[in-house]
Amino acid sequence: MAETKQTGAIRCVIVTPEQTSLDTHARSVGLPLFDGLRGVGRGHSPFIGRLGAGEVRIVGEQGGPADAVRRLFVEGGFVEVAHDSVTVITQRAVPAEKIDASSARADLEKITGTRASGDEAIEAKLRAEDTARALLRTATRGG
Amino acid sequence: MAKARALDRRRKSVRNIRKITRTMELIATARFKKAMDRSVAARDYTKHLAKILENIASVGADVAHPLLESRPTKRTAVLVLTGNRGLCGGYNSNIVRQAVALLGQWKSEHVPSHVAVSGKRGISALRFRGVDLAERYTSFEDKPEFAAVAPIGKAYLEAYSSGMIDRLDVVYTRFHSIAKQEAITETLLPLAPPQAATGGRQVKLASDEYQFHPSASSILEEILPASFLSRLFKCFLDAAVSEQVARMVAMKAATENAGGLIKSLSRQYNRARQSQITGEIMEILGGVEALKK
Repeated sequence: MAETKQTGAIRCVIVTPEQTSLDTHARSVGLPLFDGLRGVGRGHSPFIGRLGAGEVRIVGEQGGPADAVRRLFVEGGFVEVAHDSVTVITQRAVPAEKIDASSARADLEKITGTRASGDEAIEAKLRAEDTARALLRTATRGG
Repeated sequence: MAKARALDRRRKSVRNIRKITRTMELIATARFKKAMDRSVAARDYTKHLAKILENIASVGADVAHPLLESRPTKRTAVLVLTGNRGLCGGYNSNIVRQAVALLGQWKSEHVPSHVAVSGKRGISALRFRGVDLAERYTSFEDKPEFAAVAPIGKAYLEAYSSGMIDRLDVVYTRFHSIAKQEAITETLLPLAPPQAATGGRQVKLASDEYQFHPSASSILEEILPASFLSRLFKCFLDAAVSEQVARMVAMKAATENAGGLIKSLSRQYNRARQSQITGEIMEILGGVEALKK
């Protein structure tokens, strides 16, 4: 990409069903893949991956201090990395500073408080619990 | 004097109506622009999903998935997207006509259908025709939100995978351009299978570069529901945009018609007034003539 020629920068785009919520250049991007975190910098080999619930960390955004971190919570989705560009495709992306920690905590308590029976219900509950926990973690970790 | 006064009164009321229709036209124009922007902004998501799907299809991954399988239709679901308000020309009636035809077809094939309707207009029109409505939504206006559409889509996905429904048709107005919108029936479930990129070798090479985490088929499993939800969301967005366009056009026509009506009423009024004046002059002249004698 022509714009990514700046030394060491990669392009990071976050797309939700409603809009492209972020399109920026940064030094590196941390992605919450389904099985753990993965950092992507310039020159990373192309891959398509599934995301879990967690935070996307955008480090050293262009126009800001080199060690500034912008954090967003994403709830599942996919990521495509190719040609020094990271495209996160997710159903929900919320900037970390906009998450209400107390309501996230209340949600988590509500989910842990419900009973689930049957394999599918238990799986759904665990998934919801993971998401709620990741949301709370993103909210409470701080800048 | 009575006739001229009545005409004047009518002209005044038509003028008031014209003011209202012009305002509605302006409001619809503003809403249309906003809805259109949202619709354009939402295209990126579908585009990126389609790109990943193409990549998966072109590496020759096993694209068998329950959502892609076409089963014999024993139970069907129909989702009808109409507006909450009228005064938008044939927008709602076109949809209702299409929906009734579709439901009639399923009925003649003895397939029970689960009917969900969004929009007050569609709800009342279909209820009037004696259709049993399983679900009613009235919360979608000109700005449908993904967070509101997703639960509906997820319920359909669950019903489809558990075998409660074998097919989902959405009746809505597709937006082609500002000059063309048409009421159509689109089959969203089973999903159309992803097509491998048609760019030939070049694209194939590009897709060979990708690694898949965890695997192409696992990503496919996750991406198909997402793709379905985004298509359903697009239906809602298209319906919202089309409704505003329809209202804009209808109100523009109403405003123009009111203008024409005012012109012809003015003409009639002037004529009536003139003939009244002439009559009065004739009376005075007659009186003068009578006095002279």
